[in-house]
Amino acid sequence: MSDPIVSTEGLCKRFGEVKAVDDVTFSVERGQVYGLLGPNGAGKTTILRMLTGLERPTAGNLRLFGEPVTPSCAQLLRVGAMVEQAAFVPHLSGMLNLKLWWEAGGTSFADADLDNALAVAGLDSAIDRKVRTYSQGMKQRLGFARLLLSRPELLILDEPTNGLDPGEIREIRELIGRLTDDGATVLLSSHHLNEVEQVCTHALVINHGRLVADGTVSELIGSSGAVYVEVDDRDRAQAILAALPSVSDVQQQGDGLVVHMRDGRRSDLAAAITTAGLRLETLMPTQQLEDAFLDLLAAQEVAS
Amino acid sequence: MIALLRTEFVKAARRTRTLIIALALVGLPTLIVVAIKARGNRPDRGDRGEGLFRLASQSGLLVPGAVLSVMSGFLLVVIAGSIAGDSVASDASWGNLRYVLMRPVSRGRLLAAKASVAGVLIWAATILVAIAGLIAGIALFGVHPVNVPGLSLGGTGAGFQLSTGALVARTALGAAYVAFSFSALLAMGTFFSTLTDTATGAIGATIGVYIVSEILDSISQLGVVRYGFPTHYSDAWTTMFTANTFSHDMIAGVVVQAAYFVVFSAAALWWFRTKDIRS
Repeated sequence: MSDPIVSTEGLCKRFGEVKAVDDVTFSVERGQVYGLLGPNGAGKTTILRMLTGLERPTAGNLRLFGEPVTPSCAQLLRVGAMVEQAAFVPHLSGMLNLKLWWEAGGTSFADADLDNALAVAGLDSAIDRKVRTYSQGMKQRLGFARLLLSRPELLILDEPTNGLDPGEIREIRELIGRLTDDGATVLLSSHHLNEVEQVCTHALVINHGRLVADGTVSELIGSSGAVYVEVDDRDRAQAILAALPSVSDVQQQGDGLVVHMRDGRRSDLAAAITTAGLRLETLMPTQQLEDAFLDLLAAQEVAS
Repeated sequence: MIALLRTEFVKAARRTRTLIIALALVGLPTLIVVAIKARGNRPDRGDRGEGLFRLASQSGLLVPGAVLSVMSGFLLVVIAGSIAGDSVASDASWGNLRYVLMRPVSRGRLLAAKASVAGVLIWAATILVAIAGLIAGIALFGVHPVNVPGLSLGGTGAGFQLSTGALVARTALGAAYVAFSFSALLAMGTFFSTLTDTATGAIGATIGVYIVSEILDSISQLGVVRYGFPTHYSDAWTTMFTANTFSHDMIAGVVVQAAYFVVFSAAALWWFRTKDIRS
């Protein structure tokens, strides 16, 4: 079995007397889309900073692609990371920022996946404008372009939709979906629970630096990891969905179906239904991740 | 490393601030030369660089020395301090430092590249002042040997003549000495720049240390302690023109600068390699 793409064991980070990250252990396997959930100040960004070699753990082990993480370690060549907001040299153009960043690694800009990156950025002629004239959304898109230059196997994204308008948020989510469809592994921190629910296969919940829960999104939602579906041909849809490997059970309820999932994303259900030529009327969780998240945090507060 | 140097140089060179500094470094020497021309041969008032100033009207070849003697005391300190203090902290304040490190670029190599580019810019600033002074000086005063009278400039014997060849060579050596005398400032500025994510803080600390050094150096009661201050030997090069001697203080100045450079460069490297990047 191959090494996990990301693995931590007993990861700790102290700032003086404050334990920002406390004994966190988790691993991310190839192809997974992992959500790192927690309230502000929970330790999410600190974990991502340690994963990218920007900060050193106080204790514990940290590996990328099976190798220990050190500052500027070689594994980072296989990682596209956006930690906090995308940031650039403001007095240089978007294009020159991309070029200088790439060439700082000692590689010719001709080797970068520029066409794909520019298509993702979608900045058109603005790519030649100085970055100080960009909106936050444009900077975020340029940030995605930068991290895609190296065709990364692992994407580390810290609150990637912060500061974006609804249209831009949708674009970013669709982009993450396309990248994961192409085989990329994603570790994504967010406190937007619906974002994690829509995008991620797995999630871990952090609070006060400690790991509260870790598992598939369906597992985290628990028995409520069920999805309510309405289609134009309920019987046929039941047969189709029941045959999916990510589905454990399908029951009829009212006009629709309640689908219990083992793993996978709700978008898999939608894809199966539409591929079969059925019309999807409704697809929604019977309980939101938000409910489960708040329950988990409340349980931890009681326990501590 | 060449690619990294190039990228850091482009980032620094393309700033508006760099262009403004370059214009100031060309414009101010020109103004000073015009002032020398306008002043003529009025009596010595004992101002800083006065001796070189009075002599400068004899030959355009002496003007770079006169201009450097004035500008190295404060303006070049401010400019060099800005360049050095800004070297790491500017990238940190933009939030771009973490992305360069995640490229990944080794911290030691990045710091070396940033300090090297800062050093090149400081040398370029000094040389620009000298060249601007030289061009303006030659245009207004022409190229001639210089007759330096004795005693009046603090010398102890008879006067002497500096040929045009000697003037050129000593001007080049003087400019190199002035530029090298910012080595301590370069290393301190780079060190301070690794300590903070606020460029103005690093710049202020760097210039502040130099100002304090100048103040303390003027207190003769401090005795031999002053010999260790980074500014103590800053003007040692002027005796090449005013006393026809290559002062031993120039060698001492080089040693002091080198010592500060080594100590603060090592401190900057150690700190930058071990610190958490939180910007």
